[in-house]
Amino acid sequence: MNESLDSLHNGPESQRYRKLYEMLLEAIPSSVLLIDRDIRIALANRNFLEKNRLTLADTIGNRLDAVFPAIIIDQMNFPGRIRQVFEKGFRIKGERMTYRAPGIPLRIYYYSILPFSWRGGVELAMLLMDDVTEQVRLSEEVRRVERHLASVVESAQDIVLSTDMQGQILTWNTAAEKLSGFTLHAVRGRNFFDFCAEDHQGEMKRIFVNLQAGKEAQMAELDLKTKDNGRIPVSWICSPMKDHLGQTAGVVAVGRDLTERCKFEAQLLQSQKLAALGVMAGGIAHEIRNPLAVCGSAAQFIMEDDISPEFRRECAQKIYTGIQRASMIIENLLRFARPSVKPDIKKINLNALLEETLSLVTNQARIQKIELRVQLPPEPVLINGMEALLQQAFMNLLLNAIKAMPDGGVLSLTLGKTDGEAWISINDTGQGIAPRDLHNIFDPFYTTAPVGQGTGLGLSICYSIIQQHFGTISVDSAAAQGSTFVVRLPLL
Amino acid sequence: MSTVILIVDDDTDMCWALEHLLSRQGFITLKALSAQEALDLMSRHRFSWALLDAKLPDMDGLELARRIRTAAPDTRIVMVSGYFYRDDVAVQEAISQGLIIDFISKPFLQNEILEALKS
Repeated sequence: MNESLDSLHNGPESQRYRKLYEMLLEAIPSSVLLIDRDIRIALANRNFLEKNRLTLADTIGNRLDAVFPAIIIDQMNFPGRIRQVFEKGFRIKGERMTYRAPGIPLRIYYYSILPFSWRGGVELAMLLMDDVTEQVRLSEEVRRVERHLASVVESAQDIVLSTDMQGQILTWNTAAEKLSGFTLHAVRGRNFFDFCAEDHQGEMKRIFVNLQAGKEAQMAELDLKTKDNGRIPVSWICSPMKDHLGQTAGVVAVGRDLTERCKFEAQLLQSQKLAALGVMAGGIAHEIRNPLAVCGSAAQFIMEDDISPEFRRECAQKIYTGIQRASMIIENLLRFARPSVKPDIKKINLNALLEETLSLVTNQARIQKIELRVQLPPEPVLINGMEALLQQAFMNLLLNAIKAMPDGGVLSLTLGKTDGEAWISINDTGQGIAPRDLHNIFDPFYTTAPVGQGTGLGLSICYSIIQQHFGTISVDSAAAQGSTFVVRLPLL
Repeated sequence: MSTVILIVDDDTDMCWALEHLLSRQGFITLKALSAQEALDLMSRHRFSWALLDAKLPDMDGLELARRIRTAAPDTRIVMVSGYFYRDDVAVQEAISQGLIIDFISKPFLQNEILEALKS
């Protein structure tokens, strides 16, 4: 062993220092090697021996290249660096080294080489190695998870964006760029509300106010602006983003493009409408053939020679009235059948809307000897909504009520308002709904009608239309006692 | 003695057309706008013919025909309707059962009505 180390063994005070020194060496969680000028190992601590599965006997006095694989020694240029430490007395700090000892898994170390100087000369070089394998593995894992999450967000077909609590955009994924046409660069730092369609900004702000107040995830269907001045319908889920203290630090909004679904829904609405027209066809035929028969008769009278001028005038008047009646029926029908491509939200007078809808089913009711009892308040009941859709919803409810009374009965329709809500009650005295069906009646394709006589879509479409208007629909029914549907819609 | 004909239709203009057509031919007509009115008139008058609409606010035309059959077996019934077609099963059955003598669909030629009344 080295001379200077031997001197540590002398005297009780030295022994005390030696014990302390050995204890420090053994306790230190780093591998420590002391190396002399000949690049031989003068001392190795337990940490080093254990990590390299060596014993003191294998190590002390050996050259460095007997302990480390030659490739590491060359790559790291240990002899050169150690010589530098001896010659110039400076320290080499914080270099990284990957080390695979024979038979043990790859380890990664940070190493430093420090000079041990005594009386003006460098006696030994101390090689300190910290095993950072686990830290490196963890930080790589963190990076991998980060990359994975980023690619999840970037690969998603849905819009994923995040904002601060005030709505300032922080992130904006590829789907958001693609759907809106705005790049992340263009939107970062700007307010998310500015990218919602003008008439939907208020609703989005309301959602943020709720999230700021600590509410949980909020859902809404609101349009997003596009770069080409268009808009796309999007179904949003806006969730609070919590920091490590559980405080809401921002908002994550995930949005699904509803363009395709809207198209599909429009088609579905249209086919259901045509199915409803089929139900009305009998009544319509009857209703149109009456004025046609009157016109036909009157025309045949006029064709006779021996009629008085007064009677001729009367006949002409009947023809004129009959044509007006028939064209009115057809006009109502066409208005109902026409597809509503882009339903506009506007102020609607429910009184007028219900009257017009009733006029379409009056024939059918009359044919089935159903008495209509209609109670509309004298003052208009105003709501915001899509006229064609609401008409379809009420038409479905009225036709259902008529269908429930094949042997006649009373159909009551009442419109009223309470507590900021308009309510419409449609009651029939028909066969009622069995309790087992009551839970399913708003499900699509659920029907008790025989094949070919009902699609099972009418009520599910009512449900979705009323929901789009932020309203509710409920039903109360008992078998053989009729049914009452109540629709509630927020007043303007 | 003039032939008396009952016209049953809830459409007043339809009644107007039939009344004019028949009265110009010398028939006497009475009209009813509902089945109940028709049955009331039946109880007070004897009718050779009844022209019935198929859909009345208070009763089906065929049901009314059945009641008339019972109340006045001599009255011959012709159905004039825009609801049925001549080849509808219900119409065919009613004719084969002798419930109605003829069926005329709306709109009609005036001669069709007059021909039916000749049988």
